[in-house]
Amino acid sequence: MDKKTMMETMKVAISNVMETMFFQPVQINDKNCTLQEWFSDKESLLGAKLNFTGPSSGSCYFLIPAKLVSEITANFLGLEKDETNEGQRRDTIKEALNMIGGHMFSLCDNEGAISLGIPELIEEKNIKSYRLGEIKGETVFIETEDSHLAAGVITEMK
Amino acid sequence: MSFNVLIVDDSSSMRAIIKKIIKVSGFGVGEFLEAADGKEALEILADKWVDIVLTDINMPNMNGMELIVEMKKDELMRSIPVVMVTTEGSEKKMQEAMDLGASGYVTKPFLPEDIKKTLSSIMGEEDGQKNHDGDDEGGDF
Repeated sequence: MDKKTMMETMKVAISNVMETMFFQPVQINDKNCTLQEWFSDKESLLGAKLNFTGPSSGSCYFLIPAKLVSEITANFLGLEKDETNEGQRRDTIKEALNMIGGHMFSLCDNEGAISLGIPELIEEKNIKSYRLGEIKGETVFIETEDSHLAAGVITEMK
Repeated sequence: MSFNVLIVDDSSSMRAIIKKIIKVSGFGVGEFLEAADGKEALEILADKWVDIVLTDINMPNMNGMELIVEMKKDELMRSIPVVMVTTEGSEKKMQEAMDLGASGYVTKPFLPEDIKKTLSSIMGEEDGQKNHDGDDEGGDF
């Protein structure tokens, strides 16, 4: 599976998941930038990663501002933003990535040759602005009506 | 007639969503039971009467496929319908689940209607239609 196909499929998966499960219309931004440029260093970010193995191995990641997490968690659970708790917000990020990764591979890997792991939160210290440059991989930059997020894939060469 | 539903998913948010969809769809549910993985599910199944299981596949400790295998080994559990609700959408995984004895397969992301239709086809539409108060699109979800 080539990277280009994987990334194009990821864009479709992100749109489908964000709109169907989180009622969050999104637009893919095709501008060529880095994660450090995409996110302000004042933004508090949360993130998750999901490992996969098979003919291609690596991990998918998902980075999202804390404020937007509250919004999508509220949409997902049918609550008001201030009614969501930290556990629900953390769970939502992991589940969002789980659905994006799973949907992506189901669209481009009909043989089911890729096995997905269990989504995990990325430690907060690893997604501080100054460390975003250390995330090496292909990234999709996504805009919502009043915020933005990013998702990507890091593939390991075999 | 009401039935007991066991929802198995390591995401508590996903369990809450599925529960909400089933509730607003008007099925006559007696009791909702929840488990975070296959092992917990088996413990509940050994202790409580359950009419249908909805399970994720990728979970820690025991995944959804392993759960079906264990259920099919048990004389009492083997007849309980199992619906997979999972991000795994490849033909191969679906076939694997059906070969193991799954009764239905819903891929995430899903619409409330997908869960409702699958449950109706397995449990019969009677409860969903009789108890539902008008909105056929899944209530206020």
